[in-house]
Amino acid sequence: MIKIKFLIFVFLINSQLFLFSQGKNGGNLLNDEIKNKAKEFNKEVNFNKAQLFFFENNWDSTLVYSMKQLSSSENKELKDYCHYFRAISFYKKKLFKEAQKEFKQISSGFSFYYKVKLYLGEIALKQDKPKNALQYFQEVEKLPHEGTYDFNRSSVLHNIGLCYLHLEKFDKAEEYLFKGAKLQELAKDSLMLTGSYMDIASLYYNQYKDDLAIPYFKKAYDLSKKIKSFELRRTATLNMAVVEENRKNFPLSLTYRKEYETWKDSLNDQNKVWAIADLEKKFAIKQKQKEVNVLAAENKVKVAERNGFLISSVLLLALFGAGVYFYRQKIRNNKIILAQKNELDVLNATKDKLFSIVSHDLRSSVNALKTSNGKLIENLETKNYSELDVLLHNNSTIANGAYNLLDNLLNWALLQTQQGYFFQESLHLAAIVQHVEYNYKSLMLNKNIHFESNVSASDYVFADLDSLKIIIRNLLDNAIKFSQENGKISIYTRPSSEDFCYLVIEDSGSGMNAATREELLRETVLLSKKKNDDAIGTGLGLQLCKSMLHKNEGRLQIESEENVGTKMIIALPKFKTNG
Amino acid sequence: MDNINVLIIEDTPAESEVLVKVLTANNYNIVGVAPTYTEALKLFYQTTIDIVVIDVFLDGKPDGITFAETINIVPNGQKPFVFLTSSKDRQIFERAKLTKPFSFLLKPFNELEILYALEMAVEKFYGQTNAFHSEDQNTVVSTDSLFIKKNKSLKKVKIEDILYIEVEDRYCNIITETEKFVILISLTKIMQLLDATKFFQTHRNYIVNASKITEIMVSDNLVILKGNHKVTLSDKYKDFVKNFHILK
Repeated sequence: MIKIKFLIFVFLINSQLFLFSQGKNGGNLLNDEIKNKAKEFNKEVNFNKAQLFFFENNWDSTLVYSMKQLSSSENKELKDYCHYFRAISFYKKKLFKEAQKEFKQISSGFSFYYKVKLYLGEIALKQDKPKNALQYFQEVEKLPHEGTYDFNRSSVLHNIGLCYLHLEKFDKAEEYLFKGAKLQELAKDSLMLTGSYMDIASLYYNQYKDDLAIPYFKKAYDLSKKIKSFELRRTATLNMAVVEENRKNFPLSLTYRKEYETWKDSLNDQNKVWAIADLEKKFAIKQKQKEVNVLAAENKVKVAERNGFLISSVLLLALFGAGVYFYRQKIRNNKIILAQKNELDVLNATKDKLFSIVSHDLRSSVNALKTSNGKLIENLETKNYSELDVLLHNNSTIANGAYNLLDNLLNWALLQTQQGYFFQESLHLAAIVQHVEYNYKSLMLNKNIHFESNVSASDYVFADLDSLKIIIRNLLDNAIKFSQENGKISIYTRPSSEDFCYLVIEDSGSGMNAATREELLRETVLLSKKKNDDAIGTGLGLQLCKSMLHKNEGRLQIESEENVGTKMIIALPKFKTNG
Repeated sequence: MDNINVLIIEDTPAESEVLVKVLTANNYNIVGVAPTYTEALKLFYQTTIDIVVIDVFLDGKPDGITFAETINIVPNGQKPFVFLTSSKDRQIFERAKLTKPFSFLLKPFNELEILYALEMAVEKFYGQTNAFHSEDQNTVVSTDSLFIKKNKSLKKVKIEDILYIEVEDRYCNIITETEKFVILISLTKIMQLLDATKFFQTHRNYIVNASKITEIMVSDNLVILKGNHKVTLSDKYKDFVKNFHILK
């Protein structure tokens, strides 16, 4: 029983060997044909992919794409190929039932149908159905010897032999096995021959024809030493060991056994070598990994260094930038402060000057009043009444001038300190001018000045009443001051524009040159040099006019010609009823 | 045509004297000069007043403003007023400004300025700004009076005294029982300002005070008013008759 078990083991090994060789040798013609088909049907993407994967032994993908091709295409030829692909794929994946199904779906018109049969036979053999297998193999064997078939006839014969062996028809088995062996001897295929010899030996052994069997075992054993397959060597050796054991030749059997063990060991060794190699590889990988780690660490350090450098440089730059910025800011501030200081100095100087002039003027006025009053008393005592009248008029003029000066000063102060009340409203320009000129009528009469007033009654300006009065008063005052006796002063309006009303105060006085005019209109100038010696003036009045006009959003223009006269033109915003 | 009644509230006799002199010279009727707040209130309630001239500072205190505030909250007591002040102090002005309508006159002032200020006060009070100085109007219409600028001063006519108004070009002839005078105002303007339940237009040139009508002679196209004034009634305006309850 033990013996038979061994034999079966041998068979299985052999048949597997055979099947392997079948797959290996039998493909060339078919492969070429498949490639041709692929070219022919290059539009069938799925088929192309299936065959590509088929050649790459990627069985799963082959299954997927062949399935897709099957569901999409009706081409019979392609279908056969696809079924073939699927069958082979299942076969290779050892899903023999599925493979069988697929093989059976291939139509008998398939040009490589014999291959299908071969595979079917092999499958049957594997499934321990030697009768079916025999049927398939015999069909293949019957194919004419001429013609090109890419299959190994010897292996077919061998397989038939195996079938018979399984069916225990030893004579037939012997016949086919020998036929196969002969063909293999011719082909000098020592690998297959070894298998064949072993099978033949087993054949005899099974029939208890030990004498016949042993030489074949021996032959197989000898031959096995020339081939590289450890598996085959091992089997051959094991067979020898079993044979010798059965012959009660234990020492020899032991040697074979030992040899068998060594083969097994060598297989193990090989495994060990592989393991060692693997270990070494792992070690090497570890080493490499370490190196890589070290390098990575180095890199990290470098990156950190670089980053540190970068950050510090950025910080330094920022610091530098901030420094520059603050430095420039400081310079700018200094400049501004300096400019302001200069401005303040100028303002202070003008203020001082103003103060001195004003105080001087006031002082002289009041002093004049004082002396005039003294004269007045004197004249009253001497009852010189005609002189009294002159003096009184003189006094009133001086008082008027001093009052105007004081008034201007007060207004100036209010304007500068923003303490004054300021409210812009609609004002009837003609009425305001009338009010102001009313106060000057007597003065002009005294100086025998011809006065004309022609202000349009339809002009309404948008201004603060009091400041407008101050402006007109000062301009009128100036006009009178700079006019000669028998001069002429006229106040009139020019046609107003869309936004402004223009009031002109014209005199036929001394006038001024362009430079003086420019100087008067300049923003900063405060006090102009007195040209007219007779007239008392500080320039404060005109400055006040300009400031007040500015506050009322108006403008001052001067048209003047020396010794002909001056036109002071004030532009005031018009009052608009809609707001 | 009556003079305007002015109440002066001023504590400095020299200044009030000047004021009285100037205003009297310009046909204003001074009903009294009050040097203190209480006296001012007394006078205010006792007399008929058209305009009040108020000095802001009475005895160093801004009682003038207090007075203005007081009459502003008295029902029907509001009158046009003018503040007099020699100070341009902003704080005082901000307070005074709250007593609307606010007009002020800065001392020293001349005759023209005070007259102008009074006119402005009336204009502002009755919400008819620029009425006295525009070229086509010289009258402010209040609920019970017409304020008319005549020469430099103001006059007033009680509206209830008016019989009828005859429109002539840009002018209106105002006819009362005793007087007849011309004012400068347009028909449309005066129609707007007069009480529409009392005054009716009977002709394109006539406006009639309904309370003065004694007889309407539709057939003769005539309306007869008190004092036997006859006014033409044109077909276009006959509808106004419907406004009267006709006895049948």
